[in-house]
Amino acid sequence: MSARIAIRGIGVVGGFGTGVEALRDALAGTESGAGGPGCPRANTDALAGFVDRKALRRMDAISRLAILGACLALQDAGIERPDERTGVVVSTGYGPSSTTLAFLDSFIDSGDPCSSPTLFSSSVHNAPAANLSTLLGVTGPNLSVSQFELSASTALLTATLWLEEGRVDRVLVGGVDEYGDVLGYCWKRFFGEPVETPCLPLDTRRQTARPGEGSAFLLLERESDGRRCGGVIQSVRMGRTGGEMPPIPADRLLILGADGHRRCAGAYERLVPRGSSVTSFGHLWGSFPAATAFDAAAAAVLLQTGLTPAPPPVSDHPESWRVPAAGEPLPDAGIGLLRATAGGEYALTLMSKCHSS
Amino acid sequence: MTPRSPAAVTGIGCVCAAGRDLPSAIASMAAARRAPHPPIRFSTTHPKRYPVFGVPDEFIPPEILGRTDLLVTTRFALAATGQALADAGWDPGALRKARVGVCLGTTVGSALNIEDFYREYRKGGCPELETIERFLRSNPAAAVSRELGLDGPVQTVVNACSSGTDAIGIGASWLRAGTCDVVLAGGADELCRIIYNGFISLMITDDQPCRPFDRERRGLNLGEGAAVLVLERQGAAAARGARTRASVLGYGSACDAHHLTAPHPEGRGLRQAFAEALAAAGVAPREVAFINAHGTGTPDNDRVEGRVIRDLFPETPFVSTKGYTGHTLGAAGAIEAAFTVACLETGHLPPSAGFAVADPDIPGTPSATGLDIRGDVAISDSLAFGGNNAVLVLGRADR
Repeated sequence: MSARIAIRGIGVVGGFGTGVEALRDALAGTESGAGGPGCPRANTDALAGFVDRKALRRMDAISRLAILGACLALQDAGIERPDERTGVVVSTGYGPSSTTLAFLDSFIDSGDPCSSPTLFSSSVHNAPAANLSTLLGVTGPNLSVSQFELSASTALLTATLWLEEGRVDRVLVGGVDEYGDVLGYCWKRFFGEPVETPCLPLDTRRQTARPGEGSAFLLLERESDGRRCGGVIQSVRMGRTGGEMPPIPADRLLILGADGHRRCAGAYERLVPRGSSVTSFGHLWGSFPAATAFDAAAAAVLLQTGLTPAPPPVSDHPESWRVPAAGEPLPDAGIGLLRATAGGEYALTLMSKCHSS
Repeated sequence: MTPRSPAAVTGIGCVCAAGRDLPSAIASMAAARRAPHPPIRFSTTHPKRYPVFGVPDEFIPPEILGRTDLLVTTRFALAATGQALADAGWDPGALRKARVGVCLGTTVGSALNIEDFYREYRKGGCPELETIERFLRSNPAAAVSRELGLDGPVQTVVNACSSGTDAIGIGASWLRAGTCDVVLAGGADELCRIIYNGFISLMITDDQPCRPFDRERRGLNLGEGAAVLVLERQGAAAARGARTRASVLGYGSACDAHHLTAPHPEGRGLRQAFAEALAAAGVAPREVAFINAHGTGTPDNDRVEGRVIRDLFPETPFVSTKGYTGHTLGAAGAIEAAFTVACLETGHLPPSAGFAVADPDIPGTPSATGLDIRGDVAISDSLAFGGNNAVLVLGRADR
């Protein structure tokens, strides 16, 4: 990718709170984030400030999350009404899982002929993106992608290419996932009961992850008009760690997708160069597939302030990593977002300060 | 808009109810053969047996069919990918030395299709996680990339019924941007009870073989299958001596922003998608030899789509091939793009199966008997839940 893509707006809603201020507080360490063993739930009450309550009557939780994240990003960018030159890219790991299971309930309870059409139409993975576009009147290209842990990264890849090719003038790109009882059951079966200790995202030897949910959106434009922005996306690269992987930059602050899962942590140990400055936010928003969208939003906030965040709770981390203290100057080179999977895939997103900031 | 550089289509794989590969599907459509049947993969308590277009097991190579650790959707994707790579002359070992992206559309392949697991959970049991593990292992783009040992971006597009069309358009953009050397782009989907119940609940499923654009049409029939196109930059394909079958000249997409399941009555998003795709291709409507329409057989889709096509392309013949394949959801756009390329190559359109009587609400009619076509550019379009519309402009290799 050759164009620099500017982040003009940030919209987040997660277990730590709602909006950029809540995100700033969380990053500064004044908000503890996902403290207990359960899933910190995201609250969408703020949606009433953006959308007519009647329009939300039949809206399921994941669509509400997506719409609130998008509305907050537009508000942060100072855009009242997006137009047909606005694209939408929504990433999700599991999609509308609660609505899908509610649809199953409808025919398991009463037989196939009683399947609920309302639940079915809301159960498709692109329902959040469709509801978002319909409520906000966004008629440009609309894309939903699902790539588990790489969902948000692959969404960023396509969103930035749309801008680079001039398909659109701005893109609302984000990630959204919801928590539910069945997910909780699977979590316990896979990983055991969440531990009482805090999530220790950089501890590569212990399983301390806990589930999360939420929605994080960015409003992206080309960095060409001199407007103030919250950092730029320089590149998004995805591939297999055994392939021709680009060198992980040691001169940037690396935000690792490490979120307390021991099985994934080994990949970070192998990939991160010795002496690198690293941090992670798994303790703030929990572990869920689209969480990289939150990492990108956090990076944009850090690039605005120019300072490193409060370090995550640390008990033990690889000796070769350096975890900066809160308030240090960010490296001039900027930030790298690294997401690695246990299956040997990676996504590396490079971000830097905005020229016009 | 400045026309964008085309992507070369160097290989195509396709498996669907119409045939085990693209040549056999084209042959069976030319002979107007179709064989919808009651569901086999699952049971149902619906009093009516709505027909579906299933893929016979013998269409899938046994070594892939036996991969029960993967969803059927993913097995279809692997079968189509194998055909496409062979058609393109790519040895999988050589492919591992290139940067290869995988962009595939799906619906069922990303959904929580976990009915048996969930039934046990609801009863208070402790269901084993095998079903969940299979789901997590089967993300179509990730699985194809992993199984072939590829290095490059992966993206599973979940734009409902336009997913396959979108995946090919996005794959072409990855090539233009230099993100990849090769892209495997397409779509895959399987028949399942959840989707079957869902479409019946919406009352847009026909209990007879579907009749796209016909006055008596009552809905769609579901289908399953996959298609994968090998996309390369034209210069690179020529340099390795590959045959170019066609080019992806343009792609456009737009959202109606109107309704979750019904198209905009004036086809707002579809018009916008057509306009963008034609501009990206640098093609005028009169240059389009034919359109492979979405043509599901639902009253709303065919009325809106038929009106838009006649309005924008007054003289251009169009066809729906869903009468041979059923609606294969996330695979449909890819399968129909494959058919479009094959029809450009043969210069012949198959009969629009199921069409017999013109609908006075639709100004144009599809070809009922098959048609010889002239021209080197064609269009394949898709409409989808969520108000998505996506359009591909495809050109003959010698254009």
